[in-house]
Order: sequence, then C-alpha cells, then structure tokens
Amino acid sequence: MKKKAARKVAGTVLLTVLTAAALTGCTFGFASDPDDPNEVQEEIPIDMSVDTFTYDTSLSGTSITLLNSKAEIQVALEKMSAAYEEKSGVHVEVMPVTDGDSPYTKVVSLYNSGNPPTLSILDTTDVIALAQEKAADLTDEPWTAEAEGYLTYVNGRVYSLPLCIEGRGIIYNKAVIENALGREFDPSSVKTQQQFVNLLDELVNAGVEKPVSLAKEDWSLGAHHLQYIYETYNGTSEGAQEIIEQVKAGTLDIGSYTRLSEFLDMFDILKKYNVAKGDPLGADYDEMAIDLADGKTAFWFNGNWAWPNLEEAGAENSDEYGFLPYFLNNDEADFANRQIQASPSKQVMLDGQYASEKQQAAAKEFMNWIVYSEIGQQMLVKTCNIIPPFQNNPYEPADPLSRDIYEKVHTGGAFNASAIVPNDHWAVLGAGMQKYMADRSDRTELMETIKAYWAEQK
Amino acid sequence: MRSKNNGKDFCIFALPGMFCFFAVVIIPFLYGVYLTLTDWDGVAKTKNFIGLTNFAGVIRDGQFWNSLLLTFQYVIVVVVLVNVIAFGIAYLLTRGIKGQNFFRAGFFTPNLIGGIVLGYIWQFVFSRAFVSIGESTKWSLFEISWLSTPGKAFAALVMVSVWQLAGYMILIYVAGFMGLSEDVMEAASIDGASGWRKMVNIVLPLMMSSITICLFLTLSRAFMVYDVNLSLTAGGPYGTTEMAAMHVYEKAFTSRAFGVGQAEALILFIVVACISGLQVYFTKKQEVEA
Amino acid sequence: MKQTTVGGNKRKAMNLLAIAVLVIIFMAFMFPFLMVVINSLKQKRDIIKSPFSWLFTIKGLSFDNFVKAFVQMDFLNAFKNSLIVTALSTLVVTLFATMLAYYIVRNKNKISSFTFALMVASMIIPFQAIMIPLVSIYGGTLNVLNHRITLIFMHTGFSMAMSVFMFHGFIKGNIPIALEEASCIDGCSHLQTFFLIVFPLLKPTISTMVILNSLAFWNDFLLPSLVLTDKKLLTLPLSTYSFYGTYSADYGTIMAGLLLCVMPILILYIVLQKQIIGGVVAGAVK
Repeated sequence: MKKKAARKVAGTVLLTVLTAAALTGCTFGFASDPDDPNEVQEEIPIDMSVDTFTYDTSLSGTSITLLNSKAEIQVALEKMSAAYEEKSGVHVEVMPVTDGDSPYTKVVSLYNSGNPPTLSILDTTDVIALAQEKAADLTDEPWTAEAEGYLTYVNGRVYSLPLCIEGRGIIYNKAVIENALGREFDPSSVKTQQQFVNLLDELVNAGVEKPVSLAKEDWSLGAHHLQYIYETYNGTSEGAQEIIEQVKAGTLDIGSYTRLSEFLDMFDILKKYNVAKGDPLGADYDEMAIDLADGKTAFWFNGNWAWPNLEEAGAENSDEYGFLPYFLNNDEADFANRQIQASPSKQVMLDGQYASEKQQAAAKEFMNWIVYSEIGQQMLVKTCNIIPPFQNNPYEPADPLSRDIYEKVHTGGAFNASAIVPNDHWAVLGAGMQKYMADRSDRTELMETIKAYWAEQK
Repeated sequence: MRSKNNGKDFCIFALPGMFCFFAVVIIPFLYGVYLTLTDWDGVAKTKNFIGLTNFAGVIRDGQFWNSLLLTFQYVIVVVVLVNVIAFGIAYLLTRGIKGQNFFRAGFFTPNLIGGIVLGYIWQFVFSRAFVSIGESTKWSLFEISWLSTPGKAFAALVMVSVWQLAGYMILIYVAGFMGLSEDVMEAASIDGASGWRKMVNIVLPLMMSSITICLFLTLSRAFMVYDVNLSLTAGGPYGTTEMAAMHVYEKAFTSRAFGVGQAEALILFIVVACISGLQVYFTKKQEVEA
Repeated sequence: MKQTTVGGNKRKAMNLLAIAVLVIIFMAFMFPFLMVVINSLKQKRDIIKSPFSWLFTIKGLSFDNFVKAFVQMDFLNAFKNSLIVTALSTLVVTLFATMLAYYIVRNKNKISSFTFALMVASMIIPFQAIMIPLVSIYGGTLNVLNHRITLIFMHTGFSMAMSVFMFHGFIKGNIPIALEEASCIDGCSHLQTFFLIVFPLLKPTISTMVILNSLAFWNDFLLPSLVLTDKKLLTLPLSTYSFYGTYSADYGTIMAGLLLCVMPILILYIVLQKQIIGGVVAGAVK
C-alpha cells in the first residue's frame, strides 16, 4: 500500500518532468556532467588511527542531545557525534534549529516543554541571556586554558565553550583585480581609505564598472556593518562594552563620535561603487557570490561564512580570496586600517537545570574531546570547516577565507572585539541603515535613529 | 433530535470534539492570558504577578500601533479582492466549461507552495521578472524592484496574499455553487441584463453561507498574515511593511519582551474578534435556512 | 427568432470572453508552481542567474535534486510518518467535527451556542500567542510530547473550530430538517439518522474539508516542530531542514523536496474532485 503510493508519487513527478521536457524539447545531462559544481564536494579524510584521549567508561550508554543553530555544519556535526559515540559509547543526538525559528525561540520552547537539549550551540547574546538561569558553570573545565582571550564571562564565570572564530571584512578576489589591472596585487599595499578609493577608481577605469557587492539584508547592515562603531573604539570587547554603556547612558553624543562618522565615510564609499547602486535594496545575496566568483565584481563585504556560497558559485580552495580591513580613515597607524575583526561567534552552553549528573559529565567529556582528542581536533577543523579558538589545535582550515583569517589571527592582522548589543539591535538599526543605504534618509536622521534606539534600552 | 436523550446525545455528538478543542486551544490560551499579567520572560523559573504593566508597555510601543494601522489597510484591500476574484472564478468553474477539472486543479496550486519557497519565487517575480520587463519597455513602474520601495512592497504583499488566499476560497465557493440545485444554476446563467439581476436576487442569497465563511476566513487570515510577510518582505524595506502579527512575534522573541509581545497578541486578538464578530453577525442575517 | 439567434451569439461571445479571462488568471495562478517545477531541475547557480530560462537553454539539467532530496529527507520513513499523522488526524477531525456541528445546528441551547461562539472567536487566535503555553502544558506538565498521538490530538483540536464552522454553515443551509423528521418516523436512532441520512449529504463539504485539513496537516511545520524532536518520527516538512543554511539555502533541492512533499496532496485533490461532483449529484435528489 505504502509502496504503491510512493510509486504513484514518483510516477507523477516523473510524468510532470517528462511532459515539461517533451514540451520544450530539452536534453538532459546527468550526474557526470563535468560542469556540475555539486561534484566538487569531496570528503576530507580523517585520520582515526591515533587516539590518546582517555574516555570515562562509566559514561558509556549515556545519551545526550546537542541543539545546533549553525545549519551549515549539521551534517558535519552528525559525523562528529557518530565518531565520538564509536569511541566513547556516549550517544549525541544532534538536533537542528529549523527554518523560521531563531535559536533563542527554539531553546525557550524546549525549556518550556521540559525537554531541553543537554548542549546548545547559541549566539553569545543568547548565552548571556540564559546563563545564570539555566547553564552549568564551566569555569573549572580544563579547556578554558586553551581558549584564553576567547572566553565569554558572565559575572566572572564561564558558562560556554567558544566553538569557532569568525571574521569579516571586505572580501577580495585577487584574480579579478590582477586580470583587470594587469599587474600583481598585494593586499597589504592598501593601507588607508584613500588608497582603497584609488584602487576602486583604477578598477573602474580598467573596466570593472561597479567593483563592490553590498548586501541589503538587515543582519548584514545592522550587525556586521554598524557594529564596527563599537568594536573599533579600541579594538577590544571591553572597549566595545564601555562605549555601549556610554551611549546607553547618554554621556556620549553619538553625533560627535568620530568612529561613527568615519564608519559612514567608508559606508558611503562602498555605496558609491555598489554594483546594485541603481536599486541597492533590490540586491540578491546569492547573486553576489556568483558576481564575485565570475569577476563581475572584485569586492564583497562579508565574512568567512560566505565560503559555501562562493564555492557553490564556482570558487575553489586553490583560488586566492582574502580580506581587506574596513578602512575608517587615512591614518596608516590606526589599527582599524591594519586589522580585520575576528572573534568567537558561536558558543556551546551546557544545561544545568534538567540534565542528569551523568549527562552533564558526558557533555563535559564531549567538549574536552573536541578540544583535546586527535580525532576531535581534526574533525572540528576539517569536517566542520571551522577556525578553532583553541591554541592547542594544530590543524589549519582549508578554504581561502578561513585560511586568511587564521593567518591574520596568528600574525596580528586581526583584532578580537565583539560588541554585546541587545538582541533586536540588528533588526531595528538594520532598518535604519537600509533607509540610509537607499538614500531615503541622511546622516542626521540615521544618528537620531541610533540615539532613539539606545534611549529606549535604559 | 431535539426531544429526549439530550444528555446522551451531548456526550456522543458534542463531547469528543469539544474536549479536543478546549484542551488544545482554550486552556493554553487562558494560560497565555494569565502570563500577560506576570513578569515571566519565557525562561525564568519564577513568575511574579505584575498586573497591567505589560499593557502599559503595549501603549508605549508606537511601532505596534503603526503596524496595526497598516494591517487594517492591508486587510481591507485583500478581503475585497480575494472574495471578488474567488467568487467570480468559482462561478465560471461550475458552469460545465471544458476542462474545468484541470482548471480547478490549477487554481488549487497556490495552496501547495508554502514557507521559504513561496517568498523566494515571488521575490524573483518582483525583483527580476518585473525589472527585466522594465528594462525592455522603459516603463518606470518596473524600473526597480517592487520590494525596495515601501508603497510597491505593500502592493506586492497584497498581490501574493490575494494569489494565495483566493486559491483557498475558490475551493469553498466551488463547493457552495455545487450545493445549489440545477434550476437555480440554470437561472443564474448570465444572459442579458436580467441574468445579472437574477444573480443578485437569487444566487447571492443562496450563496450567503459560503460568503459568510469566506469573508470570515479572509478577514481573520489577512489580520494574522505572518508567513507571507516574513518570507516575501521580512517587514522591509526598512520596516515599512511589518504587519501586526509579525511585530508581535518580533517583540516577544527578537526584542525579548515576552510579556509585552503576549499582551500585544491579546490586543490583536480582541480587535480581530470584534471586527469579525460584527461581520459574521451581519452576513448571517442575510442567510436563508433551507 | 432573430432575437434568439442574436442572444445565442451574444451568449457564445460572453462564454468565450469568460473563458479567455479564466485562462489569463489561470496562468497567473499556475506560474509560480511552474517555476518550482522548472527550477527543481536546475542547479543552484542556474536558478539564481536565470530563474526564468526555459529548460532547453540550460545545460546540466538533471534529476540530481530529486535524488538528493529523496535520500537526505529519508523520504520513505518521513512519508510514512506524514501519512499516519495526516490520515488519522483528518479522519478524527472529520468525524468529531461533523457530529459536533450537527449537534450545534439542531440543539439551540446555551452550551451549544456558547461553544460555537467560542470556536468562531478562537479561529483568530494567533498561533504564536499560544505556542509557549501549549508546550509548557503538554511538555512541562503532562510530558506527552514526542508521540504521534499527541500531534494527532493537537491537529484535531486546532482544526476543530474551522471544521465545525464550515460544517455548521452547510448543514444549516443545505440539509432540510424535514428529511430527518421523515426518517425518524421509521424509528431511526439519532446516531443512525446522522450516519445514514446526514453524513452522506455532507459529502461535498466533507471532500472540501478533507482536502483543506489534510493539506494543512501534511504541510504543517511549526506545530510538528514543537511536538516532535525524535528523528524517527519526523514528518516530511520537518525532514527538509537540512536544505536550509543560515546564510544560504539549497534552492534546487528545496524545490525538488517540495514537489516530493506535495505530490500526494495533489493526487488526493484530483481523486476527491470526482467525489465532490458525485456528492452534488446525490444531493440534487432532495
């Protein structure tokens, strides 16, 4: 009965497709098509032969859950949990946060259903909101020593494991620039805002008419662009916190804050050379990756999470992509013109309210396994394609964007500052930025919007 | 059925359905109402009674009232368009024209596409198809994406909602027309001026129960618009198309003001209840009992 | 004579015009669905760069998306789960709602009019407003989540109001009480009257409601995602989660997955269409 129904479904699909094909007279190319971009996804082999990690055998048979809000590593996490289960006997069920749900909403509803995940991968703001009420204290875990500088403290305690470092800036496609200009391009030769503008003009003259892609999404504008004004205060998370407190308290006039006007100068430059300048709010995110890979544009403001998109668009691991800083002024000595922003983004929180002692112990072991075991270290980098925040992890990421960030983090080319802002910051001020981007408001109005937003947060 | 055994009838006929309904809808709803009177944030272990503080928060939330006003405008346009179009199409589809089954299946397809795909496909239509029409014809109407200006984004939202809701209402109107007897339908076939009058005098009153239902459904669905809003415009450009239901959700979960969001949901519910209550009262009066 | 010929021609012209209008609107309605079908056969790059291009201009067109969707969704298992949940929920809600609607129409007492009013009002409760209380009660207090039966129960409860409302309208409008009274003289019990006389007459509406309800159950995402977390129990829409990323989505596979999901409903609709017509023929005897 079931089979019959299934066959019927398959039959109908086939029929629809074939009819459509017959009508238009097309020819099908099947899976072995050499141009097929889906074919390039090869498995990176994991060396499982060496494993010096000591497993607590008493935990074998325990079952824990892991809520994953980083959808692109869902399959990779499932592989990782399978590898861990094979070695330790602990079952880790990876639950996805599905389309339409925010991680926070999902966690809240799971807590209310009395069935929360043992471990949850969340954004830093979510961890701060939930930590004291729900999370287990992880301050005394050994891995805290390996993640020095990347830990999030809530009232002096650590409640989460930083899973990855993510960075953002102006992504360049080196080949496009070199082909257009007919000379070698050295990214480190661009040191100021003015030099960046000169480069853009050169590209325009060389035929790359509109060299920049600029996303219109509110999370990009409200979080990734605008938060530079807090993060570049002095390039540390504490500094970002300090400036936010001042804005909130009203002791700092946003209108005369230099970093804001500098930031808008840079944003105006990006706006001017935007490939979608005629209709900036009609730009399509997926198309930007294709434009950059094809060489229609040379720059895209984004982060290393854009790699899967670029890869789908035809970019390969051997291609040269990297980041330029978000230039704020013409002072070569300013750290903001020399470094890109890179900081831990996703955090793993352990439930301390519902999880049994055994489950908590298993979850802690799983975290240690990720940080210390040979297999966990490899899988974090190679399978999940993550930049690890742990000093003891010897593996380097494979894709050019992550590689560039990894290099910059280890050679002083990156500053580690993350601004902790209220959760609706990106949505509310993202809308304000959209208006500014479309030239339907000016700087004064934008500053008023920012001021009004912060005034409400008291 | 009126006479004896009323208690037994009640248990057999009414109780099972009522139980499901009360257990799943009414009790959680009442619990939700109670939550608006507490400071519970969705996470905390304790709930403290704080009276009407959350409702004061609603009054201060200017964005909510703006979105409610916008929702009103949207509802009026959508309700009228959906019902006129669906009634007309359903009428044409029940007159025995060739291939009407094929047509009906086609008009049903909007119901099949939901979620992110719906928004994605229509974004293509508004940002690409229209723009390429604009490029070749030089019409300023199609010069830039409809989704990047507030007025046109609103129009786009209306168009997609009409497309989707009409597909649903056609189904109900078709069932309604099918329920009419042959001679009524014969009388209703439009030939000349008298046909139109017959349509109004004979068919409309008989179709009143379908009309009541469809009006009510379009009213409530238009007020509750969320999926289309989220996947097509996400409230954009710059928050100008954020409807009430979406604002409520954002308030509760993005702005983390759970109590205020819950209170706004309650107010939205009361507004819609009043309006559709009036509508049902007035259209029910027009119905004829067989 | 002349008059009628003119009238006939006019009528023909009107008919042609009506059909022309219908065809145009029809194309507008079908267009997005057609786009889904066409783009489900393309690769992501082609979907983004040339969504409207017809099939023959694209190379590398293939069924890959369907194969990938089929495997990643664990289609047969998810299909089984969806089928069980949808079929049982539809069955239960149809039975309970027709009986309740019938009771309300024929018994005008305080309880029935209060319940009916409450049901009408409840249809405009935003789901988001009861989402958290619902999981608190059924998860936190009763601890019955992660069972199919809970989902079926909730589907029944949530669609009860709308179904009763629809059946109520049609019973009131289209089923003469005289018919029942006549049958009662023959010594029928109420239950017999209902199932032998009333239920068959409801066929057109039942067909409509079966379609609308099963469509809603089959495609529902939010409620099942709250109730079911166990992988073995996931329904079709829930099993497409892996096609969505934070910053990007696998559109080709999503569309192929969507088609795989909705095909059964489309088939059900085409099958039930005959029932709707059959029901009308039976009803015309009255």
